[in-house]
Amino acid sequence: MTRIARTGTWPGVLLAAGVLAACLVLALALGPVSLSIGRLWELVTAGPVQGDLENAIFWQIRMPRVLVASLVGAALAVAGVVLQDLFLNPLTDPYVTGVSSGAALGATIGIVLHLSNLPWTTVLAIVGGLGTLVLVWMAARRRGRIDIFVLLLAGVTISYLASAVVTVLMIRASQDMYAIVYWLMGSFSGRGWPDVEIALFAIPFMIVPLFFTREMDILLQGEKRALELGVEVERTKRLLLVTAGVLTALAVSVSGIIGFVGLVVPHIVRLLVGPGHRSLLPVSLLVGASMMVVADLLSRTVISPNEIPVGVVTTFVGAPLFVYLLRRGRGV
Amino acid sequence: MSRTRTGRLTAALLLTAVLALGAVALSACGSGDDTASPSASPSSGPITVTDDSGAEVTLEQAATRIVSMAPANTEIAYAIGAGDKMVAGTSYDDYPEEATSLPKIGDFANPSVEKIASYQPDLVLAAGGIQDKLRRRLEELGVKVYVVDPTAYDGAIATIENVGKLAGADAGAAKVTDEMTAAQMEVQASVGDLEKATTFLEIYNKPLMTAGSGTFIDDMIMIAGGENIGAEAGSGFPNFSTEVLVQKDPTVYIADSGSMSEPGDIEKRAGFSELTAVKDGRVYVIDDNLIARPGPRLAEGLKKLAEMIHPEASADQ
Repeated sequence: MTRIARTGTWPGVLLAAGVLAACLVLALALGPVSLSIGRLWELVTAGPVQGDLENAIFWQIRMPRVLVASLVGAALAVAGVVLQDLFLNPLTDPYVTGVSSGAALGATIGIVLHLSNLPWTTVLAIVGGLGTLVLVWMAARRRGRIDIFVLLLAGVTISYLASAVVTVLMIRASQDMYAIVYWLMGSFSGRGWPDVEIALFAIPFMIVPLFFTREMDILLQGEKRALELGVEVERTKRLLLVTAGVLTALAVSVSGIIGFVGLVVPHIVRLLVGPGHRSLLPVSLLVGASMMVVADLLSRTVISPNEIPVGVVTTFVGAPLFVYLLRRGRGV
Repeated sequence: MSRTRTGRLTAALLLTAVLALGAVALSACGSGDDTASPSASPSSGPITVTDDSGAEVTLEQAATRIVSMAPANTEIAYAIGAGDKMVAGTSYDDYPEEATSLPKIGDFANPSVEKIASYQPDLVLAAGGIQDKLRRRLEELGVKVYVVDPTAYDGAIATIENVGKLAGADAGAAKVTDEMTAAQMEVQASVGDLEKATTFLEIYNKPLMTAGSGTFIDDMIMIAGGENIGAEAGSGFPNFSTEVLVQKDPTVYIADSGSMSEPGDIEKRAGFSELTAVKDGRVYVIDDNLIARPGPRLAEGLKKLAEMIHPEASADQ
């Protein structure tokens, strides 16, 4: 506790916020049509205007896309921190709870039924994700307690089950296979303002864990110890689980399944600012957003006019960075 | 001591790996010989053509039992008058009407090799790409495979002629290809002198995909008097950045529509309101069966494309 109290929170958070701001500016300026900082400012102050191609590219295509990417990145990173520390398992990512597979199943049903993408396929994805959370929850509840171990196994199991159903649907409705595969790969291509509106719902859920940083710090020492220290363990666990589940469901429903950010960002940030949640949570949020925005920037510029799936970029960027930090952190 | 043991273990593992590789290589060679022997047997009047994958296909006599692994191939067989020789098709076959009642060998991506073999075909009409791996397995079973995978409009004509030869339906094939050539001449005559109109052809919208260079769709856009924006994104069917699309601002926007893709409200997509094609009402939807299936209906597709890219030319007639 004392070590955490000594660690300054604000310098790290401000630095991370600065990095995110720089990433956002870069991502908004660069693309097939690159904009100077001056032109960027003009476009921002002018607002959406009809009859200007650059304005349309900026306001209708690039801006919503960058915003969705940052919100999804932040949501996945926060969910990653919460779940890793709740499960006391460093290999946990937001997808082990089965929420993402449930969301994928929901989206697949939407695609197979040829429902329009927004809102119905997205709504079905959210319903699928949250429905899975409820199922996993029910499986793990015993005499009013949530057994984290059972929760993890139930999540993985239901995840496999949902994936199996997705595969069956893919084979049965093979004319929709492309749509399903592309959805599963994850992308921010073609995301517009309606997607931003959905992603914005994630913001309150990102803030909730910030009020439970002390409880989360104590929970790291085990549930028994936390009880002794007066933490309402079950209530905290419940709240954090739902929060992480909703964040994952919202992220997956607008972007598909994008790997690596939710797993690696919490680890990178832990190596940089330590395990104390007062710093870890907000910095992870900002770093997650930055990483996703940069990954999306690379995905749409490196081989333009083609796009690389963003999940490929997050892995290519994240993996070497993570290995480097791990070796440095271990003093190797 | 433990170090030498580890060393020995590693050596043993490496040896096993080498042996396994050798076995795989041997079996590959062995199967290669198997496929080579039947085609080497001499005969009186064999029919030999080169398919779209560059492989020579030789039949001792005209095929009498044909299995099609793609809807386009089924259309070709029926159009050239070889429909009565068809013994099985795919679950996507929807044209012509008679083809729907054929026995099915599965769908386009997952045809069942066992099922194909059970019809004892003397000719299988395959497609390129994902069906490449099936070709070898079928040839190992002694089945002749012709791959229909043209990269240009006249390539489609040539492949139909070849299928005609293999199926003993030269006359029927000639009738079809004459019509296709006539359609090309007609279109070229009407749009030949007009300025090329920049055209974007949407194959799929989420993510945005287009027809790149080296595809027969690209070729047809050029014949129809268009300049295909998608050609600069590479070959095949590449995805395409929406930002670049808005920047290139095509005069004509054509979306294909069918079982694989539904373009929906094109005008309402993010950023599309500023496109010249949208403002000028030059957004069209085309039935993908007319442009995406390398078969006889490409002639109709070509005429439709020309009408969309140069409506002024068809209005003159």
